[in-house]
Amino acid sequence: MAITKKDVMHTGKMADMAVSEQEAAIYEAQLEALFKWVNDLSGVDTEGVSLQHSNLAAHLRPDDPVVNLELAKELRARFAQEEKDCAKVKKVL
Amino acid sequence: MHSVAEIVAAITSGQKTAEEITRESLSVISQKNPSINAFVEVFEQDALAQARAVDEKRARGEKLGPLAGVPVGIKDNFLYKGHKVTCCSKMLANYEAAYTSTAVERLIQADAVIVGRTNMDEFAMGSSNETSVYGPVHNPVDLTRVPGGSSGGSAAAVAAGMVPVALGTDTGGSVRQPAGFCGVVGIKPGYGRISRYGVISFASSADQVGVLATTVKDAADVLEVISGKDVHDCTSLEDPVPSYSSLFTKDLKGVKVGLPKGFLDGLDDSIKNRVKEAAALLKSKGAEVVEVSLPYAKYSAPCYYIITSAEASSNLGRYDGIRYGYADTTAADLNSYYLNSRAPFGLEVKKRIVIGTYALRSENYEACFLKAMKVRELIREDFKKVFQQVDVLLTPTSPTTAFKIGYHDENPIALYLADLYTCQGNIGGLAGISVPFGKDKQGLPVGIQFYGPILQEEKILNVAHQVEQ
Repeated sequence: MAITKKDVMHTGKMADMAVSEQEAAIYEAQLEALFKWVNDLSGVDTEGVSLQHSNLAAHLRPDDPVVNLELAKELRARFAQEEKDCAKVKKVL
Repeated sequence: MHSVAEIVAAITSGQKTAEEITRESLSVISQKNPSINAFVEVFEQDALAQARAVDEKRARGEKLGPLAGVPVGIKDNFLYKGHKVTCCSKMLANYEAAYTSTAVERLIQADAVIVGRTNMDEFAMGSSNETSVYGPVHNPVDLTRVPGGSSGGSAAAVAAGMVPVALGTDTGGSVRQPAGFCGVVGIKPGYGRISRYGVISFASSADQVGVLATTVKDAADVLEVISGKDVHDCTSLEDPVPSYSSLFTKDLKGVKVGLPKGFLDGLDDSIKNRVKEAAALLKSKGAEVVEVSLPYAKYSAPCYYIITSAEASSNLGRYDGIRYGYADTTAADLNSYYLNSRAPFGLEVKKRIVIGTYALRSENYEACFLKAMKVRELIREDFKKVFQQVDVLLTPTSPTTAFKIGYHDENPIALYLADLYTCQGNIGGLAGISVPFGKDKQGLPVGIQFYGPILQEEKILNVAHQVEQ
């Protein structure tokens, strides 16, 4: 799995993150070395392995509401204005 | 600084006040922190107020908590209401916590005194504490060397006697590796033992809260206070928390210790020999030491860097200037707004986001991320099988002792190998502890590590306690 400077910059964009030419040049060599190392994994036989031990709870939290009215009140107090249970924030752009 | 048990005894008996103990801690910090840089902020007035509250509680004849008056440092990724928390990143400069993390809240409920926030690698990404926006931490044993990371500030604060105990987090070894480098004890319990509510996320399937202390008993007593189910974190486990230090035994008769085959190959003699000496010591205390096989464990480090970087690329998506973090309000359009607002991340954090995003790209997902997840399953199976044969595993904590600051500047990927023995615990969800065991040729502390199955922290605490004795 080879990675080029162009890949680094494009991947940065995908993450909504500006990566400068200079940073991309630094990362290119480092990521090349990292992905060579990661290539060791390709030799491991994972045929038939399913993700049964992966702790799905870590990724999928239950959708039960946890009501903390005191905290909600405090958080809302941090905003100057609110409307219909929504905090009004400054325009971003 | 005295041990946790000594402090609690002195305050409970009235031999010392919590305020006196806190002032002692603040005095050591003010004297040593300028050269070590372990604390990035000291909560002097709040700490003294908390200490006085403990003294008043005692004066009223009320029962004191199990950590009465114990000064504690918290890593700069634990939320503590009304206090700054920055993950040692420019991205969160001046961010103030709106609520308190469960681990810190439990310390406060136990009458501990929170003295300040400790330095760390930016967003906990690093093994040397050199990526902090506040500058590197210097190892108290040798100021020209790193303390390890990412909880380097917490380890250095304990090693320098600024506080008897500190909280850290451990995603790939970030409590145990700095503990090893600084000559203190560091424990990362099994996944789910301690709530992560209010701890800033790095990689959710591996992040764990841990404790750094000068003795195993201190680490055990603090672990007991902060462990257990929390309704705010559904990954925290229901299982009851034992009174760990009451389970320490006189010897190790009946305990089976596994020494993984090949783990000492290629290591420097000064580390290899300490592990062999530890094995001999365990035998002399009645343990049976046997060689075990973990054929997939060698793939832990590449798996770790792919999986945790992928999770980090998702977790750190929230720093967009709208939900959290720096906002570039001068941007001309929305696209530039996002790109510029995410610019304050440091080099290492950006690199991990790039690695993670790259591994998750549709053309790489199967060969990279999914492959790493499948190999992780094989590693977990390895550990599951081995813990049917033995009670605990003995390994080195790190392949080296503390290296010079700047040593890995030219080849930062080589630094990733510093987590070789510790990231296995996070990939496997195991409980792990590093305990100091002798020195290397240069007089630097060597850490040895014990692994145990999830929810059996008492086993590793007991063997670590025996070795410490």
